[in-house]
Amino acid sequence: MSERPGSELSEFTGAFVAEADELLANATTQLLAAEEAGRKDQPHPRGVREAFRAVHTIKGLAGMVGVEPIVAVAHRMEATLRRADRTATRLSQEALDLLLEGLRTIQRAVRALAEGRPIAQPPPALLEGLEALDDGAQVPAEGSPSTLAADPLLEKLGPADREQLRQGLAEGRRAVRADFFPSPERAAAGLNITSVRERVGAHAEIVKVLPLAVPVSPDAPAGLGFALILLTGEDDAALGATYQAPAGAVRSLSEPRPVTPAGGAPLWPGSDVAEDAEPLHRGVVRVEVGRLDETMERLSTVIVTRYRLAKAAADLAARGADTRELQLILRENARQLRDLRSAILRVRMIRVTELLERVPLILRNLRRTTGKKVRLETDAGAAELDKTVAERIFPAVIHLVRNAVDHAIEAPAERLRLGKPEEGLLRIRCVERSNAELELSVTDDGRGIDREQVARRAGVAVPRTDAELLQLICRPGLSTREEATTTSGRGMGMDIVRKIAMEQLGGELSLRTEPGRGTTFTMRVPLTISIVDAFSFECAHQRFVAPVATIEEIVEVSQQQIVRGPNPAAAVAAPARVGIMERRGQPVPLVRLDAIFTLPDAAEHAPKVLVVRRGGAPLGFMVDRMLGQQEVVVRPLDDALVRVPGVGGSTDLGDGQPTLVLDLPALADYFTQVQEGVARA
Amino acid sequence: MSEILVVDDSKVMREMIVACLRAEPGLVFTHAASGLEAIERLSMQAFDLVVLDLNMPDIGGIEVVEFVRGQDRLKSLPIIIVTTRGDDASRSRSLEAGASRFMTKPFSPPEILEAVRGLLAAAKKPQA
Repeated sequence: MSERPGSELSEFTGAFVAEADELLANATTQLLAAEEAGRKDQPHPRGVREAFRAVHTIKGLAGMVGVEPIVAVAHRMEATLRRADRTATRLSQEALDLLLEGLRTIQRAVRALAEGRPIAQPPPALLEGLEALDDGAQVPAEGSPSTLAADPLLEKLGPADREQLRQGLAEGRRAVRADFFPSPERAAAGLNITSVRERVGAHAEIVKVLPLAVPVSPDAPAGLGFALILLTGEDDAALGATYQAPAGAVRSLSEPRPVTPAGGAPLWPGSDVAEDAEPLHRGVVRVEVGRLDETMERLSTVIVTRYRLAKAAADLAARGADTRELQLILRENARQLRDLRSAILRVRMIRVTELLERVPLILRNLRRTTGKKVRLETDAGAAELDKTVAERIFPAVIHLVRNAVDHAIEAPAERLRLGKPEEGLLRIRCVERSNAELELSVTDDGRGIDREQVARRAGVAVPRTDAELLQLICRPGLSTREEATTTSGRGMGMDIVRKIAMEQLGGELSLRTEPGRGTTFTMRVPLTISIVDAFSFECAHQRFVAPVATIEEIVEVSQQQIVRGPNPAAAVAAPARVGIMERRGQPVPLVRLDAIFTLPDAAEHAPKVLVVRRGGAPLGFMVDRMLGQQEVVVRPLDDALVRVPGVGGSTDLGDGQPTLVLDLPALADYFTQVQEGVARA
Repeated sequence: MSEILVVDDSKVMREMIVACLRAEPGLVFTHAASGLEAIERLSMQAFDLVVLDLNMPDIGGIEVVEFVRGQDRLKSLPIIIVTTRGDDASRSRSLEAGASRFMTKPFSPPEILEAVRGLLAAAKKPQA
């Protein structure tokens, strides 16, 4: 490969990837909005223009960092979009298909660049297809709006702007001109063209902003200003109030016309589409995740140092020194570190709506390949989650969406026969729960999961509850068999969904299904996974930590409170199991942590029990000594060779030694399975 | 000391342009993320040179140049238009509108550096 022309600028590769991702997401949203408008036979001039600009910017940036394959695709896409923008015509379905494919191709190249992989040449068929697109077949727009007042400024509008105004007026909105003249005083009060544009944009659709030159006056100290051409339903005074406009700055360009209630359907795609299509907000800084990780890593070293400091202070106190002042400072320092930690975590949070941006595109492809009709409803509100969690959970969401369309939602004809609406419904809901958890559910109104069929396939008894059914469809082996037969039911990739939700994210997965009515999968995952509040404890002279959230209770037991198990044979086969303890009238099985890990010197009797709950049943882990509670930075054990069930990662408690972070519920699961295996054998 | 206004709606592109010009001492950079912001900046502060992208929301580079050239105070302000290659029509339109130079992305750091040096030196010479 020859040297990239922009290799001097290679330091910008990361920034390019971040900006390109954003531009691609925006262009995709715009093209999908244009497609939606096209279904109603309407052009979507603003969507086309935004998509054009995004593709154009990508092309320019890609050229600077020397990624030719992206330039090649973007260049051809740009030509098509430019034509549609200049002539205010509707994009044909063929054009939209090729353009969306083009965006995907660019996305793949951007990913390859980000991961340092070689970038594939774009498929020639795509390039040829884009080049062959003929604009002759497209529908030209009608003439200019007839209800506009005569304003010489309007002559500066292009065809796409006129089309936008025409549609707005036809819909019953008013065309308005709002003038703004910048000055240092207004700038000091937060009023500049960017903020005014944003404020006015919240109350009106901005068609165009034109520069103005006027005689210098107290209102226009520089003699330069702007005229914002708007479509709005609000009155002039309300618009003027948004930017403290002087009298006369806002004036109507049209008279309101009564809306023709033909069919009731709005001609302009709903206001929500227009909102989605707003250009991305300024004042947002994009940061590479790597830098955030680095910040977190730095913080983790500070936290480790703090524990060493606290330990040193405790040693001093033990030797009789007066450490009251020191303790106060340490407490203050701990609080500051906590604040800093949550500030960094907030930076890492991304909006769930952002995460779900790609779902419409994926759904669109599924609709085309399956021939099914599916409507998407997403409701994520303002929920946010950590970027790392977001990256991990996204594949699970996609699996669930794919399954719902592939297997659950019936073909249109079948739905009609069943008396259901022809168009299936897929709903993604996301709520933030109070305990730093996010609940994300994917619901369909399809056929529901056929328990008998799943049981037959798996060769087991029919599950009685949804929870049992979930366990069954999450069995790793089940998927291939189902996939091969392609008929009803679910299961494809469900073991992956379960793994992501439960093993990777330490969350939960649940299922609710009703035959003929539909299915809901719900994942509950922590909002963030990097730092956890944990108990540290000792067992057979080894130190461990376990997240506080996973432990239901810590109890002290004496030997007398422990009842020997009813099955001595099993106890012999699995020496970790020592018996049963009574807790508030309920039996709690006890296991010895040291025996599970076959630690030496396990003769000592452990008086503390950590009670965890898994699938409703409690289990107690016996340990020797509780050491304390603290925040720990969990480093995942990414080496597959050292991946052990029940071990969530490692941490450093300040002694420089790696300490295992235990996932006791997972360990309980593993232990239960082993026990059952032993009992069956 | 020369005041440079860098106008591009892509933050990465603005940063790249500044990086290309780093080698020249005594340049002070102001960023503008749109043609509108550029006009606003120009209305409130004096600049020695503008590096201007063609394709931006609301009003593009050519509109900015046309407007700027219509103002007495800004008639001789050096303006370098940078745009993405393949839009050959825009070169003649930019120069007609009154741009001082026209550069095509991707450009190399020496190319833009040379253009900036040349324009600044020409502007400093007393008018004959």
